[in-house]
Amino acid sequence: MPRARRRQSHALIHLVLGVGGLIMAFPFLWQIVMSLSTNAEVQSVTPTFWPEHLQWQNYAAVFQRLPFLSQLWTSVLITVIRTLAQIVLCTLAGYAFARMRFRGRAVLLGLVLSILLVPSQAYLISQYQIVQNLGWLNTLAGIVAPGLFSAYGTFLMRTAFLNLPAELEEAARIDGSGPLRTFWSVLLPVVRPSISVLAISAVLWSWNELLWPLVVSTRATQMPLSAALATLAGDVTVNYPVLMAASLLAMAPILILFILLQRRVIDGLASSGLK
Amino acid sequence: MPADVSESAPAPAAPATRRARRGVRRGDGLWPWAFVLPLLAGVGVFYIWPILQTAFYSFTTWGVFGGFKWSGLDNYGRLFTDPQLYRSLLNTLIYTAVVLLGVPIAAWLASLLNTPGLRFAQFYRVLFFLPYVAMPAAVALVWRMIFNGDYGILNWALSLFGIPGPSWVNTPGFALAAVSVVGLWSSLGFSMIVLAAGLKNIPPELYEAAELDGASRFRQFRSITLPLLAPSVFFVVVVTTIASFQLFDLLYALLGNHNAVLPKTMSLVYYFYSAGFVENDKGFAAAIAMVIFVLIGLVTLLQFRLQRRWAGNA
Amino acid sequence: MASFPRRALAAVAGTVAAAATLAACSSTGASTASDSDTPYSPPDANISANLTYAVWDQTQVKAINANLAEFNKKYPNVKVNVDVTPYTNYFTKLQTEASSDSLPDVFWMNGPNFQLYASNGKIEPITGEVKAGAIDPKNYPQSLDQLYTLDGVQYGVPKDFDTIGVWINKALFAQAGVPIPNKDWTWADLHSTATQISQKLASQGVYGITAGMDSGQSTYYNTIFQAGGSVISPDGKKSGYDSPATAKGIQFWTDLVKSKAMPTIKQLTDTTGDQWFVSGKSAMYQGGSWARSEVAAAPVAKDIAVLPVPKGDQQATVIHGLSNVVAASSPNKQAAQALQVFLASKEAQQQQGDLGAVIPAYNGTQDAFAKSMPGVDLQLFLDEVSYAKPLPVSKNTAVWNTLETNLLPDAFDGTKSVDGALKDLASQMNADLAKE
Repeated sequence: MPRARRRQSHALIHLVLGVGGLIMAFPFLWQIVMSLSTNAEVQSVTPTFWPEHLQWQNYAAVFQRLPFLSQLWTSVLITVIRTLAQIVLCTLAGYAFARMRFRGRAVLLGLVLSILLVPSQAYLISQYQIVQNLGWLNTLAGIVAPGLFSAYGTFLMRTAFLNLPAELEEAARIDGSGPLRTFWSVLLPVVRPSISVLAISAVLWSWNELLWPLVVSTRATQMPLSAALATLAGDVTVNYPVLMAASLLAMAPILILFILLQRRVIDGLASSGLK
Repeated sequence: MPADVSESAPAPAAPATRRARRGVRRGDGLWPWAFVLPLLAGVGVFYIWPILQTAFYSFTTWGVFGGFKWSGLDNYGRLFTDPQLYRSLLNTLIYTAVVLLGVPIAAWLASLLNTPGLRFAQFYRVLFFLPYVAMPAAVALVWRMIFNGDYGILNWALSLFGIPGPSWVNTPGFALAAVSVVGLWSSLGFSMIVLAAGLKNIPPELYEAAELDGASRFRQFRSITLPLLAPSVFFVVVVTTIASFQLFDLLYALLGNHNAVLPKTMSLVYYFYSAGFVENDKGFAAAIAMVIFVLIGLVTLLQFRLQRRWAGNA
Repeated sequence: MASFPRRALAAVAGTVAAAATLAACSSTGASTASDSDTPYSPPDANISANLTYAVWDQTQVKAINANLAEFNKKYPNVKVNVDVTPYTNYFTKLQTEASSDSLPDVFWMNGPNFQLYASNGKIEPITGEVKAGAIDPKNYPQSLDQLYTLDGVQYGVPKDFDTIGVWINKALFAQAGVPIPNKDWTWADLHSTATQISQKLASQGVYGITAGMDSGQSTYYNTIFQAGGSVISPDGKKSGYDSPATAKGIQFWTDLVKSKAMPTIKQLTDTTGDQWFVSGKSAMYQGGSWARSEVAAAPVAKDIAVLPVPKGDQQATVIHGLSNVVAASSPNKQAAQALQVFLASKEAQQQQGDLGAVIPAYNGTQDAFAKSMPGVDLQLFLDEVSYAKPLPVSKNTAVWNTLETNLLPDAFDGTKSVDGALKDLASQMNADLAKE
């Protein structure tokens, strides 16, 4: 392609992606603007694109009203535990479902996948009763328990293992490796990109989950940020700008993590196919 | 997820299966059980048992706080004669259709992103992926402000063109449109990234060869891109469909629970929630849950069937 | 992916079939209400227990903690954990807990949900405490004692109450050049005042009046009672929406929307009535006494006055209040009842009133509230109690509350005739009440 034509077509592409990207990012930008405005500016018919005075005290108000740091810690803790557990359990099971033969494999896989078809609200009361019977109400174990197991993650990892060439394993077997060894040192490194996908979805799901931690725990200090935000939204003395500031703060840790790791997250997804 | 699916890209269904089978050694002994049991134990206790309970309760009339009478097919009889079921199903289908519309858009954007030598590509990827990362409860608050009939920036923008905008989330029709648009917005980035990975996986030599043969852009798209991207597209479609059929949080967050448009706008899962947790009719709610379960199961099964046929022809 | 096992999906279908054969699971029948004649005697001061006290309003936690500090002076070994769940999730959570008999030992209850929990034996009557003289229902507004009484048995006394008034933005009245009506105003006064302000301040997008039209408590229940109508029959079995007087109470709001004195219901769903008011976009806001803390925290606070709800055919307002109830399944019932008794005491309610945003229910402890906004006559919320009617409820209130939310906006906005909408509402509500 001649240089000039290429540059021209790039300009068009930049236009499309730029406009599209702006639309995608707009709600976040708008949220930042609103979080720094006064309530009157937020509720004016002609939008205030830039507040007259930046209202940083909206952020201060969030810290006054929420024990932000302890709730952040709760969010981090439950997210880390659930993500690690999902990685371990789903990778092991996904491998067995994809590459090993055992009785009832198809039926068991079907059972695991069937849980994707039921809306999560339908599990609420039963799961609560089970956690209660286990004596885990108001414990960290109770909050994280159902979320340690993921059908989606199992599906994902099974697909990943299914798509690996059989030669990889055979070579390992000829070398005399046992199943555990083959799994650990030969196959696991190859599916790492899928594991990162699993980790991303586990982190996002766990961070944003609201209803379960609220129901199973009765201690405010055990409340994750998502639940704290819901509590704040229910408080009538909190105005919109403060609420916007709070929701930005609740999202911020994940957004920052994503932006820091963007290359690994996105390229991880993209590069896995190039093996 | 793109990657995993796309790895099998060139191989049609049957060989992949055969290959996988060959990889399985006879007599793995107890090892497979050691690998699956930890997961199965948890899934059995926390998910399968509740599903069985729900299935059972759908044939009972539940007291508000437990205690039930066997009532056979009563709940189902009531359910299938309730117009709200069909209305909710229709709303769910409309929502799913709009969100699925995002798949071709995502594919197009992904192909633009993969343009060789494009600057800022990573920056664009981040922008498009942002909504997927955001906390739904938090972004719903912003979208509510954007959709506000009096002070919303959307209606202000429309007014510049002389169009009077409605109160989006409180007007029948517009409310579902608003929810669908936000659903599309939040899922687009994921589809795009998955499809971009699938595209990257297609060997560039194929296009070079086609170019030499004088194949048109469209022709290249039809005979190279489309078939080789199929597994990624399929993955995105299945995952998006399952998620869309379970629309609840977004609807609840955007419309609130005191909104007169709800009967005309509610999704199947909202219908379930409202029966079970607002009207305290747990047996009836269980029947709705089972209908959702079977419906998603059927749709997913259908998708796998179609995919097999499509992949077979490719 | 391609090799997704067909048998796996067959197994999914099998799950459903298997469940159908799963008859005779263990049944957790509703536990019967415990003997309501058990006399109450204050537990030994050394009693030790860990209690959970569930509430939904974060803004009241400060006052609650002050209460608990006092309580612990009497019972130093009773530890109370305050559990705050946002209101939107509070009853979902409570239902889950009630289904597993693990309700918090003491928790907040409201009128619409009370009968559900009482009739299913989930909460403990206060008969014993009343007999022992630890609680005297006469110390609280009678209409609220009535609200927490089912089939002649009382389960709680109110911890606070709220009545409805009209909040006024004096600055906007001055700007429009409209005089502020006096306390004995009527429906017609409200209508003409609001219409005038809407007309005069139309260019600024200011309306004469706004209100919380998503529920009847602060809006149409008041006007229904003022017109002599009813929402539900006294025995809770029949809808009152088919009576002409009730229709008159609904028509009041339809007229306000029609003459543009009030924004449409759609506008009020987008931006709630209180938000219009605190951001200076409406000159009047018909709302509860609970709006005090929100109004006081807003920039409009310096321009506030308040009026009682206007008079229709008669004077009336809606009164509601929360109650502290004890779970029937509480393993620490004695300690829980001791806490319930303490929270109902004059001492505790006085403290609530002094610190909190609410009007305490114990007669004679409301002074602090009345004086909490200097220059604003909050006393009128207390005076209204004499003609207040309790919030209408039944056993499954939420069902017909949803019907109201779904069917009435069409009548208010004039897209459907008031009579037509009310006919639908009454018949659907009667059908649901028949199932209770």
